[in-house]
Amino acid sequence: MAVSNEILSTLFRKMIMVRRLEKRLEALVFNARVPCSGHFGLGQEGVGVGVASALATSDYLFGTHRGFAEYIGKGLTPREILCEYYGKATSLSRGRLGQHLLKVEIGVMPLPSSLGSEFGMAVGVALSSALRHTGQVTLNLFGEGTASQPDCYASLEMAALWKVPLVFVCNNNQYVELDSHRNISTGLDVAVRAQAFGIPIEIVDGNDVGLVWETTVRAVEKARKGEGPTFLEFKTYRRSTHYTGDPGGYQPREEIAKWAENDPVDRCRAELRSRGTLDEAGEKAIIEAVDLEIEEAVQFAEDSPYPAPETAFTGLYA
Amino acid sequence: MAREISFIKAVREAFQEEMRRDQSVIVLGEDVRAGIFATTSGLVDEFGKERVLNTPICESTFVGVGVGAAMTNLRPVVQIMFSDFSYMAMEMIANQAGQWHYISDGKLKVPMVIEAPSGARGGAGYGHSQSIEASYMYPPGLKVAVPSNPYDAKGLFKSAVRDDNPVLFFEHRRLLTKKGEVPEEEYLVPPGEAKVCREGSDCTVVAVGRMVHEALAAAEMLAGEGISVEVIDPRTLVPLDEERIFTSLRKTYHLVVAEEGRKRSGFGAELGALAAEKWFGYLDAPIKRVGAPSLPLPFSPALEKALIPDSRAIADAVRSSLAGE
Repeated sequence: MAVSNEILSTLFRKMIMVRRLEKRLEALVFNARVPCSGHFGLGQEGVGVGVASALATSDYLFGTHRGFAEYIGKGLTPREILCEYYGKATSLSRGRLGQHLLKVEIGVMPLPSSLGSEFGMAVGVALSSALRHTGQVTLNLFGEGTASQPDCYASLEMAALWKVPLVFVCNNNQYVELDSHRNISTGLDVAVRAQAFGIPIEIVDGNDVGLVWETTVRAVEKARKGEGPTFLEFKTYRRSTHYTGDPGGYQPREEIAKWAENDPVDRCRAELRSRGTLDEAGEKAIIEAVDLEIEEAVQFAEDSPYPAPETAFTGLYA
Repeated sequence: MAREISFIKAVREAFQEEMRRDQSVIVLGEDVRAGIFATTSGLVDEFGKERVLNTPICESTFVGVGVGAAMTNLRPVVQIMFSDFSYMAMEMIANQAGQWHYISDGKLKVPMVIEAPSGARGGAGYGHSQSIEASYMYPPGLKVAVPSNPYDAKGLFKSAVRDDNPVLFFEHRRLLTKKGEVPEEEYLVPPGEAKVCREGSDCTVVAVGRMVHEALAAAEMLAGEGISVEVIDPRTLVPLDEERIFTSLRKTYHLVVAEEGRKRSGFGAELGALAAEKWFGYLDAPIKRVGAPSLPLPFSPALEKALIPDSRAIADAVRSSLAGE
């Protein structure tokens, strides 16, 4: 594995943060502390953390609606995330975004409610970077379900035609909302669809966070050199239900159990231990620090005021 | 006297001037290099293929490309070949382009123009002939320009390119070859400023786009009957120059609204409701709306003509208003 100890340790810490933050938010949803539901990604943290960590701060990321992996990966903090979920005045959007996390300064771009609306936008952002010669790369991360949107294909067509610095990444967790992908599609390897436009593809184990990072770095650097788009597909599995209001039951127990044995956090821990860079005490320290950061963020969000109602009437036009 | 040029040439000049002035202005859409209605013809020769981009046929995606480019320091003009096709990109226009400035609390801007030829020209059928500009008054965050002549087209287009918000720019296809006075020197027409095209004292007719010409013909006709009509061209539906319309109403106490688009939920419905709500005391008669019925536009020019309002329909509405009907 080409990933350094330092990078792998960072990826491990970020995955711990994602998992514990999602768990904490789930409790906040069930206790009605936040006015919305949550969509979590237990078991697929390796993909979002790996791909987003492969980007420079100035690179652009279009993320998914599921969980916090790519957002933590790109550098959003628990405080920034929770203040948006609470809809408080202290959030970056002063209560306007909710679950649609955005932080333009670090390249976290719009997460549209209508899944797949980002396909065209991502090409536009990459086109802009190319025309202005900024050297920035755009990465569009989406699920295998969202890949059914027609905009996916026209965006592949345009990205290939114009050779824009864009990396397409499919987070294939095998479930599309409340149904198995195999019940709604016969094209289970999503990446091969990109080959029709001459875009190079890689289909990779998404539960090996180091491999995800390394694969993405290669595609990003290729894009940065002006060699055009790549389509990466990371195979993983979602052990969470679709959202906090979904009782589940449509995923076979044996399937969940099988994938739990292939957990990205467990695998990363084993790798770090085999390298001698992590022991039990080290992991305990990470968890304590992460939990402290999360609890401080919860407290900050709880203590923050709601935005003044009159602010709702301002700022429609630039 | 200023020179006379066509609507097409006026818009093409606006493109050229803005693209020379600002490197960040690009144009994209289907066949913009050739220029199917000629407003973009020749731009590729001067500005190159990088700034004049032909796209595949997928309105939703290429309007999305415009939104993304606009969010990251370009000023794209996205051309939709027929405004009817803009409904294919409704998601990008209504849910994304107009909303992200507000939702991001000002962190994102979407300075883009959507140029969309529209309107009935006879024999183009149900999906190449509609006037759907009023549809875009509903979603928040958009501006809607409907120029009626070459002068306004050029001035509004240049303002639209410089606007930090998404602007829909509708060009009636019957007006494209019509000529009008356009000065050589540079000028802008800001959004939200209506124009009084003819002064009058008995009835105010607010007419949209090509209907301005029908309203002027109706006013001429009615002048012979001793009726004095004031014709107002709002030029942009959003923002709307309410003050100018109200000023006229305080003089005439009668309001007729004319559009080529459908009456139901149209511009007239909105302006009529606004007038009833705010200016009821200045209305001596019910508001009259002139527009198309809520029907598809049939192919045969004979059938299409039956559904598109004309100067006679506007004149009838004015007479009816003045009769207090």
